Amino acid sequence: MKNGIAAITIALSLSVSAVAALSAATPAGAAPAPALSAPGAAAIQPQAAAATQPQAAAGANPAVKSAAKGADTAPAKVTPNRGITIGMFALIIAVTMGVVVWAAKKTQTAADFYTAGGGITGFQNGWAIAGDYMSAASFLGMSGLISLYGIDGFMYAVGPMFSFIAILLVIAEPCRNAGRYTLGDILSFRSSPKIVRGVAALSTVTVSIFYLIAQMVGAGKLMQMLLNIPYRVSVIGVGALMVAYVVFGGMKATTWVQIIKASLLMGATTVLCVLVAVKSGLNPVTFFTDIVNSSAIQEHVRMNVLKDVIAKEGVNYGQRFLEPGLFLKNPLDQISLGFAWALGAAGLPHILMRFFTVPSAKEARKSIIIALFLNASFFFMISIIGFGAALYLTPQNILAVDKGGNMATLLLAQYMGGGPGSLGGDIFLAFICAVAFATILAVVSGLVLAASAAIAHDVYVNIIKDGKADQQLQVKVARITSLLVGTAAILMGLAAEKENVVALVALAFAVAASGNFPVVILSLFWKKFNTAGIVSGLVVGTVTALGLVMISPVMTYPKKVAADAKKVVETLEKKVAGGVVLADKEVKALEKARVEYQKNKDGTSMVGLDQAIFPLKNPGIVSVPIGFLAAVFGCLLFRERRAEEMFAEIDVRQNTGLGIAKASDH
Amino acid sequence: MAETNLDWDKIANNSKFLELKSKKRNFLFSWWIVSTIYYLLLPVISGYFPEAFRVQVIGPINFGYLFILSQFVVAIGVAIYYAHVANKDFDRLTKQLLDALQ
Repeated sequence: MKNGIAAITIALSLSVSAVAALSAATPAGAAPAPALSAPGAAAIQPQAAAATQPQAAAGANPAVKSAAKGADTAPAKVTPNRGITIGMFALIIAVTMGVVVWAAKKTQTAADFYTAGGGITGFQNGWAIAGDYMSAASFLGMSGLISLYGIDGFMYAVGPMFSFIAILLVIAEPCRNAGRYTLGDILSFRSSPKIVRGVAALSTVTVSIFYLIAQMVGAGKLMQMLLNIPYRVSVIGVGALMVAYVVFGGMKATTWVQIIKASLLMGATTVLCVLVAVKSGLNPVTFFTDIVNSSAIQEHVRMNVLKDVIAKEGVNYGQRFLEPGLFLKNPLDQISLGFAWALGAAGLPHILMRFFTVPSAKEARKSIIIALFLNASFFFMISIIGFGAALYLTPQNILAVDKGGNMATLLLAQYMGGGPGSLGGDIFLAFICAVAFATILAVVSGLVLAASAAIAHDVYVNIIKDGKADQQLQVKVARITSLLVGTAAILMGLAAEKENVVALVALAFAVAASGNFPVVILSLFWKKFNTAGIVSGLVVGTVTALGLVMISPVMTYPKKVAADAKKVVETLEKKVAGGVVLADKEVKALEKARVEYQKNKDGTSMVGLDQAIFPLKNPGIVSVPIGFLAAVFGCLLFRERRAEEMFAEIDVRQNTGLGIAKASDH
Repeated sequence: MAETNLDWDKIANNSKFLELKSKKRNFLFSWWIVSTIYYLLLPVISGYFPEAFRVQVIGPINFGYLFILSQFVVAIGVAIYYAHVANKDFDRLTKQLLDALQ
């Protein structure tokens, strides 16, 4: 998060972009694929409304406006040059496949498969962690948010950047010293191994699958939008590549795919950022003065965001762009999200797993410092790109292409390369598309590996086989589970095309922060912590987080969708009643809204609700403390002598690295 | 695993180990808590005291922008400081301990 986490934004932006893909494709009449027909729209629209507050109120309006405006403005759409873009995609596939072939030869043992034999250096691992974490959605969505909502978007980027602090200080080194391949290894150290491994594996698979589905859906929609590749084809294609990387190349191939991706992403971001900086004259004060004085930005803030039809006196709408409150409205929700960022990343199994690939705690420290530095530079540069896009492209043009702003980075690349249609613009745009593609591949591979390690290592080898499985069998099982997890992810990705992915990413981060994080930290640092504590912490934390997200505003509430559709119908019908002849697009919009209204007016959310009960989009502020309390109570309720006696061992191990699992340990 | 027969309890009560452990815990948890509070100040100030963010400092650049920027500086600063202390103190103490145990 992805990117993440870049978590919520990932999903938020991608779901919004899906809506935009619809609205961009329809007026252009550019053969919207069957997948983009009305039912799809009905399912996706509400997410955008639920996810982006500023648009929620206007959910119905822009459709009408853009439809009405459609006639005199050229259809806006980013159209990458297919030849160049596909060439670059092919190059990335070829290079990464070369890596897989090379890595496959070196993957002999379980340690090779899960941790590349502990032979990754701190420097390489730092890049790989960054590659695992920075998602396509941060690259595209975050800059979009900044280009549309100014400083609120920038504020949003702090969370994913800051989440590495907890990993750096309390997670990376102890985990390296105490664990071997999986979350289950750390947790089962001094507790009843079978039950703890079982629960830990379940939690790992849950978090990874939620995250994975969101990424797959995002990938499918992104490819569809950029290159007009049908959704199914993209999901299957991305899925097949990810399965190939993991099954044949294990951790070694996954690591190198992530390193390649991180270098491409950092390279592309740096180039764009430098171009913006040079264009602005390398002076931040003039840069921001230009933004404040930009009449396009002023008008955007006044009309599109604040909806002041008549300018209010004494309000400097340009300066307002640099003030908070345009996008993030509910302070409590922000604090709650802050909890998820601050603790969630430290509970993501695929991030934890990366620390087992280095030979020592010192290298683990080095890797997280490098990752943190890359991550911070990345998000800072993204902010410059976002502000640059607002200044040089204008928010109006960005909105015209995509209501969520997700195309800001791409449009800026095209503009900086020489504009649409120019060779430089085509090449730069294609390059950025290819970077986004590589980004998706790297993130999904890490997730598949983490989920399959939990099943193969924790469940099969340690629960079913009592830890008695030879290397050949272990690797074989690991490969088979990777194949199965990958296939499951593809199938679920296909099935989830119309699902609300916002909720999925919120779920992944919430479960990681409320379920995994408390038990990991207590296992490492609290003497009395035991089996009962781990199980109750994981189960209660996970269930609370899941339950709260299920009844939160991120879910889709059909009655709300119906209400929005009804507004569109009423607006257009009023127009007809007033004697106005509707344009083709308005007629279509009217039909679509009617269908949507009929379909949704009697519906309820997944858990049968008309509206959200829990007011916050992120449950962190409630579920993290509950996860901690459950872990503590469970543990105190069922004291366990053995766990307390064995604390000395884990304490010495995690602090000193004594008895560390070597790559040669069989 | 050749090292599983180590006497963990004895090491855990070794004075050098206790020194290392308490130094590490104090350092790590205090910095973790301080930096997390600093991070959470961001949604708190922007949400409940937005006027503070509006104070213009240099031209159009306001306190809010600088405060967000400071989060990046703090994160990198904590990382560099931690690396420095860990390389200088923690690694040295660990090595001394391991040497003494040999």
